Amino acid sequence: MTDVTSETLRRWRESQGWDVPRMARELRKAARDTGEDVAAHHGLVKMIPQWERGARAPRERYRLLYLKIFDDALSFSRGATIGVDFAVRLAELRSRADGLPVPGEVRALETAALARPRRTRTPAEIRALAAEAVAQLHEIAGKLTELSALLGDDQVGEGKS
Amino acid sequence: MNARDDRIRQVVAELDVHIAEVEARVAVLKSLLAEDEGPGEGDPS
Repeated sequence: MTDVTSETLRRWRESQGWDVPRMARELRKAARDTGEDVAAHHGLVKMIPQWERGARAPRERYRLLYLKIFDDALSFSRGATIGVDFAVRLAELRSRADGLPVPGEVRALETAALARPRRTRTPAEIRALAAEAVAQLHEIAGKLTELSALLGDDQVGEGKS
Repeated sequence: MNARDDRIRQVVAELDVHIAEVEARVAVLKSLLAEDEGPGEGDPS
């Protein structure tokens, strides 16, 4: 794990949509499974951000637990592993999807844009832009639901509907 | 790699495209509204 940076630890965690307390629970769960003795939950909640900032390095037993957790978590299925890069890409997609407006917000933008004559877009173009954006938001919601089912988790995204 | 993994990668690629297109369309709508906030006719600058 010498090539795993503190930033990677954060990205691994975020790729699963886990907050720090969840990461702490996962570490303790993995430790229980292997009979390891690890810090209490509140201690891990303090240490994880320090590891992720690079303020301190995790000891070997924690490094091994990280590998065990993410070897499982980053696997799509038996015999196939998505890899960290793909997991990071997934996390970025989730973040971008979360940042999109909901259809009602797009409609509000459309209404505001139509409230005055525009030099660069006709009203018909503005309506088409908004309608296409709303249709695609529904597509995105459907794809996120499908992805969630494929990955077997409930944390891909809430979807936009 | 099995069919499920292929499908996951395909869905992710499609999501990437859809999200980029929505971002672009929303950016255009917002840029239209930004015209309202630009220097007005009476702005001395």
